[in-house]
Amino acid sequence: MRDDNDPLIVRRSERSDGLVVARQAPPASTASCSATYLAPAGSAYDPPSRVGLAIMTNHLVTSGAGSRDRVTLARDLDRLGATLQAHCHPESAEVTVWGPAEVLSTLLSILADVVLRPRFRGEDLERVRRQLFERQMRELSQPESRAEREMLRAVFPTGHPYRETGAGTHTSVSRIDRNDLIRFHRDHFTASGAQVVVTSPRSGPAILSEVNRRFRDFERETSPPMPTLPPTRRVSATPHRIDMPGRSQVEILLGGASIPRDAPEFAGAFLANEVLGGRPLLSRLFQRVREAHGLAYHASSELEAMRWGGLWMAQAGTGPERIARVLPILSSELERIRSERVGSGELDEIRESAIGEIPLGVETTSGAHDLAVEVTYFGLAPDFFRRWPATLRSVTPKEIQRSAEVAMDSSVACTVIAGPSRSPRASQ
Amino acid sequence: MAKPVRARRPRVERFRLRNGLSVVLAPIAKSSTVSVWVWYRVGSKNERPGITGASHWVEHMLFQGSPHYRKGEIDRAVVKVGGSLNAFTDYDFTAYFSTVPRDHLSVPLDIESDRMTRALLEPAEIERERTVIRSEQEGNENWPEFRVAEELGELAFRRHPYRWDPLGFPEDLVALTPRDLREYYRRFYGTRNAVLVVSGGFEPSQVRRQIRALFGRLPTLGEVPDVAVVEPEPTGERRATLSGPGTTPYLEVGYRAPAVQDPGAPAAILLDVVLGGETRLFTVGRGWGPSGEHPSARIYRALVDRGLAVRATTQYRPRQYPGVFLIGAQAARGVSLDQIEEVIHRETGRISRFAPARSEVLEARRKVRRGAQLAYEGASGIGFRLGYFSMLGGERFESDLLSRVLSVSPEAVRAAAERLFPAERRVVVGYEPSREAPNAG
Repeated sequence: MRDDNDPLIVRRSERSDGLVVARQAPPASTASCSATYLAPAGSAYDPPSRVGLAIMTNHLVTSGAGSRDRVTLARDLDRLGATLQAHCHPESAEVTVWGPAEVLSTLLSILADVVLRPRFRGEDLERVRRQLFERQMRELSQPESRAEREMLRAVFPTGHPYRETGAGTHTSVSRIDRNDLIRFHRDHFTASGAQVVVTSPRSGPAILSEVNRRFRDFERETSPPMPTLPPTRRVSATPHRIDMPGRSQVEILLGGASIPRDAPEFAGAFLANEVLGGRPLLSRLFQRVREAHGLAYHASSELEAMRWGGLWMAQAGTGPERIARVLPILSSELERIRSERVGSGELDEIRESAIGEIPLGVETTSGAHDLAVEVTYFGLAPDFFRRWPATLRSVTPKEIQRSAEVAMDSSVACTVIAGPSRSPRASQ
Repeated sequence: MAKPVRARRPRVERFRLRNGLSVVLAPIAKSSTVSVWVWYRVGSKNERPGITGASHWVEHMLFQGSPHYRKGEIDRAVVKVGGSLNAFTDYDFTAYFSTVPRDHLSVPLDIESDRMTRALLEPAEIERERTVIRSEQEGNENWPEFRVAEELGELAFRRHPYRWDPLGFPEDLVALTPRDLREYYRRFYGTRNAVLVVSGGFEPSQVRRQIRALFGRLPTLGEVPDVAVVEPEPTGERRATLSGPGTTPYLEVGYRAPAVQDPGAPAAILLDVVLGGETRLFTVGRGWGPSGEHPSARIYRALVDRGLAVRATTQYRPRQYPGVFLIGAQAARGVSLDQIEEVIHRETGRISRFAPARSEVLEARRKVRRGAQLAYEGASGIGFRLGYFSMLGGERFESDLLSRVLSVSPEAVRAAAERLFPAERRVVVGYEPSREAPNAG
C-alpha cells in the first residue's frame, strides 16, 4: 500500500501562523470523509470564576456561525448527509465534521465558519447554560460521574488543570456572559497551537490548499500560555465514601495522577494498564471480578495520558453488598501489576491482542480519523501506528513493572466508593 | 411508488444450507478485517412471566463454554488475534458478532458453529452469571431513563411480551433455573432459526466451503418462534409517575405504533424524522443510541428552543409486532412535567390536523436518503445492517422499505400522526426527582 493511501500514515505540515494541517487517507471502500479542528481551548483554561466557559464556548460554536443560524446550519448538514460534533477535554476542544467524501470542500467551509465566525446569540447561550446546569446535576446524582468528580478533587490540588470536570457550578456558569465567550473564543480558537486534521481521499497538497483557503483571518494567531501545574500531593489511603441512597449500584474507583503521553514509560504503562484492566475480556480485573467470581458486570481500568500529565483509574460497578469482596480484588491487582513481572504467556496474549486490534480501528472513516487526531495532537511520528506493533513487542516484563510503579503510583491515588449503602430492593 | 434507491452497499450473496441455516456473504476485497455475525430469531418476545430475561441470560452463557471452547476460551481465541467480540439481546432477536483481522476468519466461524447447538450451560456457571446479570441490571437502574422505559413497557403492554425489558424482571432473575435456560436454548437455538452473515475481506468460494464444512454438519434444530399473544388495542390513556434520585423531571409519552411489516410503518418512520430528527434505520451504526441534537426537528424546537427542556426527541424503532413510538424530554430546571406534556400534546395534535409543508417532508426524505447512502461502512457495520434487516424482513426488505419511506407524502405523514396520537392510545410516564441534600459544588 502506498503511503498516500494508507490510513495509518498521517502527514502534517505547519503553516507560518503555526496552524498544523494533517492529512490521512480514509480506509479503502469507504465513501465518507472527516475533518477536525483542535484548539488549545479545553476546560483547563477556564478562569477560576468562570468554570464552564470552555464547554459553553465549544458547544456554542456549533450553534450558528457565519451566515447560518443554528437551524439553517442543521438543515444544511442534513442536506449534505453530514454531522457536526463538538467535544471539550481538559487540555483542548475539538470540533469535528463528517460526511460524504465528495462534499469535503463544503464541509471544510462549514467547519471554518464554525471555528472562525461563531454567532454566540443570546438565546443559544441561555439554552446551553440550561443544558450545563442539568449536566452539573447529573454529575452529582450518578454514582459513576460522582465518583470520578470526587477522585479528581482528591487527587489534584486547587488550581490544577485536571481538578475540575469543566461543567462548573451553578454560580460560575450563571456568571458567564456573551463577552466572556467572545474573549475566550478570540484567545483560544487560534492558529498557533491548533491543528486541522482531515481524513479524505484527496491528496495532501490539495487538502493543504483547501485548508489554507478556508482557515485564514484568525483573530489571534498566538496560542494561550499553558496553565501552571501545581504538584500532585500524597492522598489519604482511607476510601472516600459517598452515600447516594435510592440507587441500585455502587461505583468503586481507584485512581490517581499519572504520566504524560510523551513520558519514556508510556509504552510500558500502556501494556501495564492493558494487563490490569484495559484489554477487553482478557484483563486481570475482568477475569477475576467478573469471570471468576461473578461479582460485577463491569470491571476495568484506563490510562489517560495527556500532554501535561495523566490519569489512571481502575473501576467496577457492583451491588452495595458486594463492595467488601470487589474492593480487595481491585487493590490487590493494582499492587500485583506494580510489584510482580507479568508472565510471558499472559503478556504475549495481551500484546498481540492490542497489536491485532489496529486494523479494527481503521474499519471506518471515523475510527481512522480518531487515530489521526491522536497522532497530530500529540505530535507523534507520521507512521506511529505502523510502528506501534514493533514498539510494543520491544517492551520487557521488567519495563512494564517499572512503568506501572511510575504511572500507577498508589501514593498519589485514592479510592472513592459512590452509591447506596444498601440495595433499594433489599427492603422490598 | 418512487424509483428504487440504491445505498452504497457491497455485493451480497445469499444461500441456505440443507439444515435451514441462512447465509449472507458480503465480500469487500480491500477490507483488512472480516466480521462474523450470527442472528437468532429469538428475543424477549419469546419469553413468558417466570422466565423473563432467559434470552439475555442464554446470550451470556454462550460465552461460557462449548465442546471445543471451554470457559474463557471463546473470548481468548478472538481477542488474542486482535479481534473484538460481543453480543446483544433485543425484543425480537439475539445477535453474536466477532470482527477479526482478515487472516483469522476461521476463528469466529469455528466458535459460532460450536456454540450454535452445543453450548454447555453448566449449572455452576449459570449460578455465577446470575450476579453478573443482576449487576448489569443494577447499573441500568441507576438511570431514571431506564426506570421510565421499564414502567412504560409495563403500562403499554398488558399481555404481549414487549411488556418487559430484555434484561427481565428482577424476581425472575432470582428464580430462573439451569433447567429453564437449557430448555430455552434447546428450543430456540439452531440452524433453522439463525442467519449467518460474513462481511469484509475474504475470498467467497473459500468461505462458502468453510461454512458448509462447519455448519453444514449441524443438526436441523431451532424452533422458528411466532408470538401468538396479541395485544388488544388500547382503549384509554394509561399513566404513572415515578420518583427517585435524579436531576430534573423527565417525561416519556409512548403511543402504540405499527409493526415493521405494517403498511403504516414507512409513514411512521418519516414522522419520526420530522418530529425528532433521527433517521435511525438509515444511518451509520445501529441508530439505537441516545439521540444527538436536532435543532431543525419539531419537538426540539417546541421544547428545547423555548427553554422548557434541555433535551427532547422522538424514537420509533419498528419491531416485528406493534411496538411504541416514543416522545421523551428532560425538563429544564423549574419546568414541570405538565408543561412539557402540554407541549407534546400540542405538537402531536398539530401534525395530526395539518399536513407538514412539502418542503419539510422533502427535507426529511433527503435526510433519510443521504443516511442510507452512507450507512454501509466497515465490515462490522455492514454485518450488522445485513443481519438486522434479515431479522425484520426478506432479501429486498431494506431497499423496499427505503423506497416506501422516500415516497411518503405530507398527507401520509399527517394521516400517520392521526392514527398514532389519539389520547386513548398513549401511555405517559413521568419521573420526578426526589429532593437530595444540596452539594456545595
